[in-house]
Amino acid sequence: MGAGVDLFAQAAAEGALTVGDFTRRARAVVENGLPPLWIRGEVSGFKRWRSGHWYFALRDRSAQIRCVMFANENRRLPTEPADGMQVYVFARPTIWEDKGEFRLTVLELMSTERDGLWQLAFQKAKAALERDGLLEPGRKRPLPAYAERIAIITSPDAAALRDIAAIVRQRWPLAELMLVSTRVQGDGAEGELCAAFAKLKRIPRLDVVIVGRGGGSKEDLWTFNSERVVRALAAACVPVISAVGHETDVTLADLVADFRAATPSAAAAAATPDCEEVEAHVAHLATRLGRSAATRVERAGQQLERLEDRLDGAVRWRLERDHQQIAALAGRLDALSPLKILDRGYSLARDAAGRVLKRVAQLEPGSAFRLRVTDGEVHARVNES
Amino acid sequence: MTGDPSSPPPTRFADEIERLEEIVRRLESSDLDLDESLKLFEDGVERLRVVRERLKAAEVKLRQVRGERVDR
Repeated sequence: MGAGVDLFAQAAAEGALTVGDFTRRARAVVENGLPPLWIRGEVSGFKRWRSGHWYFALRDRSAQIRCVMFANENRRLPTEPADGMQVYVFARPTIWEDKGEFRLTVLELMSTERDGLWQLAFQKAKAALERDGLLEPGRKRPLPAYAERIAIITSPDAAALRDIAAIVRQRWPLAELMLVSTRVQGDGAEGELCAAFAKLKRIPRLDVVIVGRGGGSKEDLWTFNSERVVRALAAACVPVISAVGHETDVTLADLVADFRAATPSAAAAAATPDCEEVEAHVAHLATRLGRSAATRVERAGQQLERLEDRLDGAVRWRLERDHQQIAALAGRLDALSPLKILDRGYSLARDAAGRVLKRVAQLEPGSAFRLRVTDGEVHARVNES
Repeated sequence: MTGDPSSPPPTRFADEIERLEEIVRRLESSDLDLDESLKLFEDGVERLRVVRERLKAAEVKLRQVRGERVDR
């Protein structure tokens, strides 16, 4: 207590301290007499300055005290506390000499409710994502049926990678696994994860990505609740399967991912078809291919037969028609025949050469000619005058 | 394990299967002329050969995206 206020020296007006001396000494008394300690209260008048420092008051029904939490301390927290929130702070009491104010320099802050601040951060980020439509079920992309290139974003030492590789080898050995190593927890993990999602664009012919996490504590899940990370996930160029959550803790990454798998093995199964099923499907297609082609050829044969029948029919009909036409023509020809006239009692005179004799001059006395009557021909001669 | 990242197979398995399914569907629908049907059939047989070959030759490849390979 060497820096304390010397009550005897300052008992008279002559020994009066300057304000500065007094506040300096008072500060020393407070800082030396009250080591950092836990205090509980309600947050009020919270303000975040441009510098990143937080200013607020802690209060209860009877009292309040002004607090500051500097940027390098509050950086570790997932979000700002809301006014009215009940919190515990671990703080160093002090006096701000320039204002003569009693203050707490807060070193740690946590909600009195379990995971209160984390919950708050979760809700805030979730609301922001919701506003931008990233939680719409309609924006989920279907997973590829036959993924051949599967990216895995995880830490290279994670059990997740081994599990995924084992399942893929067993189910769908066609696949190529592209490992994108990143830290998934701790300082820098957020940035690395965002970079990993962005990097997917550079992998040609990529079909799907699995983002996995190799176990770890619940706090480590926080990376996957980071709004930044989740937005990077949502912007990934291929469908994303998340395998980061626990059964009980759904992360924002799980909510925004196109498919949420409970485990890395389940993620691998979702990303791949089963080889045996594919082989069965291919065999089925082969059968259908053969059968449909055979049916087509058979049908072509039948078509050909039908065509033959039609051709045959057409020819026969044509012949018949021709036949009838000829008969009709014959009838008409017959009607026109001069022989028909002979029926009516006319006769036809012709000379030996067959020329028709129509005039007297052609019939010289004594000459012979032929006379055609209806039922035959007779030889005749012109009388000698 | 083999496989050169610079020479990926020329077609995607999914495309081959999709084409095969399309061929079978078209062959089963009956409005094709014979010539076209036979061409499709030949194409289908080729697609079958490709997918069966790919299924047979398959072996998981694991690669680090930076380039170095992580075989396990």
